[in-house]
Amino acid sequence: MSGTNVVIKKRITSLFLIVGTILTLLIGRLAWIQFVRGDEYRDMAIRNRMDDIPVPAKRGLILDRNGEELVVSISSDSVYAIPAEVRKGDPDKIARELARILDLSFDDVYKKLTKKTRLVYIKTKVDPAVSKEIRKLSLPGIDIVEESQRVYPKGTLAAHILGIVGKDNIGLEGLENKFDKYLAGISGRIVTEKDATGRDIPQALHDFVPPVPGSNVVLTIDETIQYFVERELDNIMAQYAPKGATVVAMDPKTGRILAIGNRPDFDPASYNDFSAENRRNGAIHLNYEPGSVFKIITSAAALEEGAVTPESNFYDPGYAIVSDRKIKCWRYPRAHGAQTFVEVVENSCNPGFVEIGLKMGKEKFYKYIRAFGFGQKTGIDLSGEATGILINEKKVTPINLATISIGQSISVTPIQLVTAMSAVANDGVLMKPQLVQEIRDSKGKPVKTYPPEPVRQVISKSTAQQLRGILEKVVSEGTGRNAYIEGFRVAGKTGTAQKAGKGGYLPGKYIASFGGFAPADDPKVAMLVIIDEPTTGPSYFGGQIAAPAFHNIMRDTLRYLNVTPKLTEEEIKNKAVKEQILVPDVVNTSLEDAQSILHEAGLEARVEGEGTWVIEQQPKGGIKCPAGTSVILYLGTQGKTVPNGREVTVPDLTGLTMRETGQLLAKLGLHINPLGSGIASKQDMAPGTRIKAGTTITVTFSPRIPEASP
Amino acid sequence: MIDRRAIRNFDFTLFVTIMLIIVFGLIILTSATHATMARGDDPYAHVKKQTISVVIGLAAIGFILKMDYTRLVKYAKFIYVANLLLLISVMVIGEEHKGAQSWISIGSFSLQPSEFAKIAMIITFAVYLTAREGKLRNFSDLIPTFIFFGMPMFLILLQPDLGTALVFVAIYFGMLFVAGANPKNLLALILIGAILVGGVLVAQLGFGLDKPLKPYQLDRLTIFVDPYKDPKGAGYHVIQSLVSLGSGGIWGKGLFKGTQTQLNFLPEQKNDFIFSVVGEEFGFVGSVGLLILFYIFIMRGIKIAMKSKDMLGSLLATGIVSMITFHLLINIGMAAGIMPITGIPLPFFSYGGSSMLANLLGVGILLNVNQRRQVLTF
Repeated sequence: MSGTNVVIKKRITSLFLIVGTILTLLIGRLAWIQFVRGDEYRDMAIRNRMDDIPVPAKRGLILDRNGEELVVSISSDSVYAIPAEVRKGDPDKIARELARILDLSFDDVYKKLTKKTRLVYIKTKVDPAVSKEIRKLSLPGIDIVEESQRVYPKGTLAAHILGIVGKDNIGLEGLENKFDKYLAGISGRIVTEKDATGRDIPQALHDFVPPVPGSNVVLTIDETIQYFVERELDNIMAQYAPKGATVVAMDPKTGRILAIGNRPDFDPASYNDFSAENRRNGAIHLNYEPGSVFKIITSAAALEEGAVTPESNFYDPGYAIVSDRKIKCWRYPRAHGAQTFVEVVENSCNPGFVEIGLKMGKEKFYKYIRAFGFGQKTGIDLSGEATGILINEKKVTPINLATISIGQSISVTPIQLVTAMSAVANDGVLMKPQLVQEIRDSKGKPVKTYPPEPVRQVISKSTAQQLRGILEKVVSEGTGRNAYIEGFRVAGKTGTAQKAGKGGYLPGKYIASFGGFAPADDPKVAMLVIIDEPTTGPSYFGGQIAAPAFHNIMRDTLRYLNVTPKLTEEEIKNKAVKEQILVPDVVNTSLEDAQSILHEAGLEARVEGEGTWVIEQQPKGGIKCPAGTSVILYLGTQGKTVPNGREVTVPDLTGLTMRETGQLLAKLGLHINPLGSGIASKQDMAPGTRIKAGTTITVTFSPRIPEASP
Repeated sequence: MIDRRAIRNFDFTLFVTIMLIIVFGLIILTSATHATMARGDDPYAHVKKQTISVVIGLAAIGFILKMDYTRLVKYAKFIYVANLLLLISVMVIGEEHKGAQSWISIGSFSLQPSEFAKIAMIITFAVYLTAREGKLRNFSDLIPTFIFFGMPMFLILLQPDLGTALVFVAIYFGMLFVAGANPKNLLALILIGAILVGGVLVAQLGFGLDKPLKPYQLDRLTIFVDPYKDPKGAGYHVIQSLVSLGSGGIWGKGLFKGTQTQLNFLPEQKNDFIFSVVGEEFGFVGSVGLLILFYIFIMRGIKIAMKSKDMLGSLLATGIVSMITFHLLINIGMAAGIMPITGIPLPFFSYGGSSMLANLLGVGILLNVNQRRQVLTF
């Protein structure tokens, strides 16, 4: 102590204080790094050394309302290697084994196994039997991972609703896109440990985190009804060669969609081969002028507002004059003359509706147009829904109002119109259209349900009932006669709208449609059939070409839904009176001859297949049928049929449509005795049996489509 | 007689503390080196070499304790000249390693003269200042000290070894301050230095000059401010160091279980960033524990400086404590991402025989000053 003076001591003390302060600050800094941000740095340390390779989860199924599989995922195995682990064993031997089992060249496999990488795929989409064999060998560093692939057991059925899945398990369009978060599941991971220089690590972690499979989506779609729709759409395309066609079917009481079909269509399994135009879901994308089908809306508004009563009197001179413009009736130059409101609807008389629309005025009319959901999205579970186009209410002129009354100067989407029609069928309550009814987890347990969602009461129950009665008459007595189904009360409205283009309406371009529901007293199905620009066929009128398609789908659907037919007294009387005619045998005649023979006999002829030669007919010659029955003529090429008596092999008919069955059997010179309707499910002669041509095979058809093998 | 008094005055606390630090250091060095050695090499080669250095260092302490530190006055001139000659010879026959020519090979060992230069400067400067006691009031009095320190510093900067040069600066200021230099003058010096450094930084960063520092050197010095500016390049060291420290959390991942260390993500883990190994494997508890050990050492060192019988002893102790403390603060600050990367090792921890030996020589001097603190009155 003696040698140091006070100054030195003071200075040493202050140095010590400075150092102490800095040390304290350092400890604070360490606490910040190790306490506060510890977790963050821990994650970074893990990311530093762990290599993640994602393993896609098995995508959920898409099922129809009855649990039928519309889209499934099959898993395929992929073989991968971790070179660092392989090197611990005998790469040469492992490569030889793999090359043998996987049928690959030794050099390629060896090259992959010795690659300076942490993980390498040896082969993808490996047969389950093969991967089992590899698993059994348990080669060091070789493992197998399951990956899923989308498969469509029903082919193109409902393709527009289902949508498509792109690479990496991402839903791109349709429900696959909208419900991606449920369907996708959670990817798993293959985790491997590495060091900073990528060297082998003794006791390296090699972990497999299994993926969580996606949930299954249960649709409101009914596969069978969808099938009816698809079948009829094919017929429409074949008969009228239109630019496109769309059918939407809905359960009016719940808003649940039963079927949506569009043409042109595409195959979701190879969607890249189709244009975007084919993938467009017209049911929600098509903006079109509905024409006379929209008169349902005009009528509903007018009846609800008291602007008309069913008994109101109208006089049609064949045209109406609005603001110096002549709006012609479709019957012009002929006129409908004096009619009641009911007859105006039955006749789809334009001047009558123009008068009604003008009488209501734009405020009231627009109120109902909006209440029925036009001009806005319905909120269906699909992306990119169109809204339709309403002329700004402030700018609506009397001529606009007049044309809107008859369904022109207004653009709607098919889904909007079906939804609005369903409100009439559902006692005035507008329902939100739904495509999905339930989400189930991969084990089948319900995760989420979608109860029906009423939107609003648009018109009163009594107005709705009144209107249904009037629309029923359209079918039973008016322009919609072709939609009439014996034994059922069908309500509906035809529509034929001129297509608008640049500079006004396009000559010769029409959209033919038919919208309606059945049974009229207790509607089970509401449906809209739209045919865009028919080019061939008898006419472009909705009542001529759309109504028959509506009839076919509705008839099969009502039967399928077990709706009991109620024959009216008149029908029963007609049935008894109807002449029973002996069907002539027209097999092996030319189509022209066959048609004229049948017409002379008082029967209708319907054609199936292509060609000019009748190779088979249904019903057969010699059977008694009521007058007017359609005889189906299966066409082929003259002389191509197998002569009677020659031995042929019975084919497996299961899964074929009646038409396909008929064509196939006809080619073999066999006759068909069909029972039921739908898809062939049973045949009285086993496939493979050798029988003589000319034999009749009884085939049972059932409406439910049997499950296709995945 | 002399032995008994020597034992009575032996600072056991200081010695035990140092030994604890050294043992802890050897364990950490084992962890940092054994897993990352190339295949076929002895995984414990570094630890063995380091242990030999410790043994030599302890022997040196025993040797130092035998003589009185006051006899250093006689050797001061010799030490100063020898130091300069060593530093010059490293320029001539030295070996380059990691961009700096700092090593001289002697057989299988290589010597790093700049490590010993620090001790040499402490001894010679202490003798120099003692001779000028009470004559440090004016700024002009400081001018000879510039030359005194400037010559060896210039040689070290030529290597280039910026870290050691900075340690010189710390020793210089610490000892001058305690020796009684006018704080105003010291402050003025620091200010001039700061302006010079600031000027260089502005010139290089702002105007893109590439002298006197090379661009990569500048990057290393400034990257700690924002390591994510160049996470794979200049910022890599800092980021990995922070990840190592942070991922250790409170208790650490356990010895030999630090993934950053064992899988070699942490660069320079046996040298500059060895503290991050402590943080990763022993967590906050381990790293603060180590800091406390160093704190005890510093406290004891300062006590020795205060209780010294003469100015020379005080200055020697101050110089050694300044040196080790500066090393400690800069090294840990660097690992914690709050100070520039200057390549300053952690005393008694970082791998390096010269550094270990030089530090133990310093400890020997401290113990010597403590032992002979009573004025002999025979």
